[in-house]
Amino acid sequence: MPRPSLFRPTDRHPSLWVRPEERYPTFWVETLGSLPPTHGERWSAARGRTVRHFDPYRSKLAAALARGWEGELPASGERWLYLGAASGTTASFVADLVGSAGRVYAVEKSLRPFGRLLSVAERWPNLLPILADARRPRDYVDFVPNVAGIYVDISQPDQVEIFRENAALFLEERGRGLIALKASSIERGIPPAEHARRAVDALATEYRGVGPIPLSPFHRAHYFLDLRLGPPSSGGPKSVRRPTRGPGSRGSRPQ
Amino acid sequence: MAAALVLGAGPRLLIRDPGALGWQILLWDPDPSGGEATLPVGAVQILAGLPASVEIEVGSERLRRAVERTGRRARLADSATIRKARGSIPVPTDGRERRYLLALARARLEVALRDPDEVLIALAREEERVERALGREQNAALEFGRGSDASVAAYSGRWTRFRELFDQHHHELSAELERAAQQVLPNLTQVVGFRAAARLLALAGSRAALARMRSARLQLLGSKRRPSPDRGPKYGVLYRAERMEELPPSRRGAYARSLAALAVIAARADGTTRSSVGTELRRRRDRRVEALKRGMHA
Repeated sequence: MPRPSLFRPTDRHPSLWVRPEERYPTFWVETLGSLPPTHGERWSAARGRTVRHFDPYRSKLAAALARGWEGELPASGERWLYLGAASGTTASFVADLVGSAGRVYAVEKSLRPFGRLLSVAERWPNLLPILADARRPRDYVDFVPNVAGIYVDISQPDQVEIFRENAALFLEERGRGLIALKASSIERGIPPAEHARRAVDALATEYRGVGPIPLSPFHRAHYFLDLRLGPPSSGGPKSVRRPTRGPGSRGSRPQ
Repeated sequence: MAAALVLGAGPRLLIRDPGALGWQILLWDPDPSGGEATLPVGAVQILAGLPASVEIEVGSERLRRAVERTGRRARLADSATIRKARGSIPVPTDGRERRYLLALARARLEVALRDPDEVLIALAREEERVERALGREQNAALEFGRGSDASVAAYSGRWTRFRELFDQHHHELSAELERAAQQVLPNLTQVVGFRAAARLLALAGSRAALARMRSARLQLLGSKRRPSPDRGPKYGVLYRAERMEELPPSRRGAYARSLAALAVIAARADGTTRSSVGTELRRRRDRRVEALKRGMHA
């Protein structure tokens, strides 16, 4: 007798599945691609669908899920621009999430990772690789239409600025921005959380946002920002104005 | 007043003529060679039909060059104009876009990898991998049982032959790497040797990046530990520089420091003027090695 499947659908996204395990639940995404795995991840069958393990240690998007981020995932049918796709690990998951009616335009500048990205893209029907520098969006404006969201995972000091330039050119009304921020590529000597707060503040005039969500222990000194184009609802992004520690915390203690 | 707008959309070309309604969508002869692109005949006709008073705005530099080759002036549209204009165009979802972008990606990657810097980087990485694999095999062979069992002996013979072939493969690869390094980095190769020179380039990413590097950074390229004031690493891939092995371990840090100072000069010559400074730097290097061997601390 076959064992009952442990995979449970989620109400967040039709392609996202969870499987309760001993310590914590694991995330799985129904896939459009074909084997071999893009980065050695496990493939499994969940009630007749092929799913791939969405590992928080490998993907910052999965880490955000594991850290309890409750924002919207890239939705089915949407077009997304993915900056810093590297070898296509997370990009392939975003492609799975937007489904066959959606598109992911994956921009990567570095040649060797791009070679791997290209071989992943050949197996994913909706992942489109573009060899270009995200700092120069005019180099790929001829190939990328307007998009519903931009996912940014480029470990660069001017990451926020790069996102802003791309958003000006590509992001639709009320478009989304998901940013994985690597504090140690911005500047050493400043607390990582401070970098994340500054990034949110820099975007607060144009975007409503959730975050910064710390991605530790999966990714050290990384933060995740979930933004939506539009005026702030009231008082700017939610968790920024709220003190991170209670009253009497280090920040507010009189010197 | 109103300008015509020309935008690329993957394999398509979109033209909005202020005199006409809506967009004209043409198939833009996909030129996924990664190089320059020419406008399709239909587009040239549409542009030629525009009165001279109508300005032409384009989305990208590539398109601007293509339009200007037809004899019309064009200027770059600003980001907001492009984004708003494209909001009104349905994006076709046929397979053409994917085929186009995959072909373009392959072409661009191939062009980029043909660069001599990239060829040398590829060889350097491969040589390092093969060297490590060879070392692993040879190490394992030392521990492999030397029993007299017939099947083990037969296996051992086959394995030895394999290692000899592998060793030969490594030699051939090294020779190829040396040729490439001497061509791309003639000065640096003279100062640190071809293996270290090629690995330095692979770590820096490009000749330009290597030429911009400071001596202290170059000295530590490829080191695994984190630099720190008290007990940081003394060298990275410079460990594999020529003449490093002749020195006692206590003098190697000093040699790496001096060598890095000479190597940046060579790297800058290789990255910019291509002038030949290697012989002189090599002489200074050898003088330094002799001094270190005599135990001088200066």
